[in-house]
Amino acid sequence: MSTTPLPGDSSNAPTQNSGDDQTGRFVAQLNGRVRPLSPHLQIWRWHVTMAASILNRMTGTALSVGSVLIALWLLALAFGPDAYATFTGWMGSPLGLLVWFGLTLALVMHLAGGLRHLIWDAAIGLSLKTADALSWASIIGGVVGAVAFWALLFASGRVVL
Amino acid sequence: MSRETKAYVNGVKVSERHGAGEWTAERLSSLILVPLTLWGLWSGFTLSGGGYDGARDWFASPVNAVLLAVTLLVSVWHMNMGLKVIVDDYIHKPGSRSAILGLIGLLCLVIAAAGVFFIVRLALGSAPLPAGFGI
Repeated sequence: MSTTPLPGDSSNAPTQNSGDDQTGRFVAQLNGRVRPLSPHLQIWRWHVTMAASILNRMTGTALSVGSVLIALWLLALAFGPDAYATFTGWMGSPLGLLVWFGLTLALVMHLAGGLRHLIWDAAIGLSLKTADALSWASIIGGVVGAVAFWALLFASGRVVL
Repeated sequence: MSRETKAYVNGVKVSERHGAGEWTAERLSSLILVPLTLWGLWSGFTLSGGGYDGARDWFASPVNAVLLAVTLLVSVWHMNMGLKVIVDDYIHKPGSRSAILGLIGLLCLVIAAAGVFFIVRLALGSAPLPAGFGI
């Protein structure tokens, strides 16, 4: 990718090598314009909207791993009772249940976070106060939802330790 | 990539590349997945502790099998887009980025293809694998 500015593009002039570079780094955007690199995570003050955004990425990544487990569940089921017993033996163990709980937490939190993003994408709830409240709601809702789901699983006797 | 291409519609500058297509696809897949996730949680709850027979009974219902296949495919689509955004953000070397995106695409393809294959067999009540596959 070239850092050469577009010929005759005056929008490059103010930022390129103008001496007020605080980041030490310029990047060429896809459209060829040279812009300073935006500050990274460690530069920003910690805030709940930021935490909720990071959590949405983390839970999404965790769910990608979860999709592999779901595929393995389908595989074990399709390979018959013996294979399924092996799978449930592993994934029904205390450690396996902990993994399922983590995935439930990731799923409910990602669902809540996704709803929050869909609300924001509709240009609703973007005031500072509401944005903070929605971020807290998605985090707390995710935890409460996952814990309630597992409390019901244990209470109904479907899952035993 | 041509930097001289400029597209205008009614005198308004529009995207020279993907435009908002990826953005829209992310939101569309999210919207579809909201009810499917709630259904998935409910299904996970009913399947828990049911064992092999319970799971086979569950798959005997075409509604369950079709909804699960749809959930799997939309999830993999959504997952591919989500992981791509993260890789685009943090992997700056074009060669590494292409390689990682290729691996992610391959993983998604394998999950989708294998998942649908198993779901179809389970829905049809086929004999346990590797029946009929030469072993």
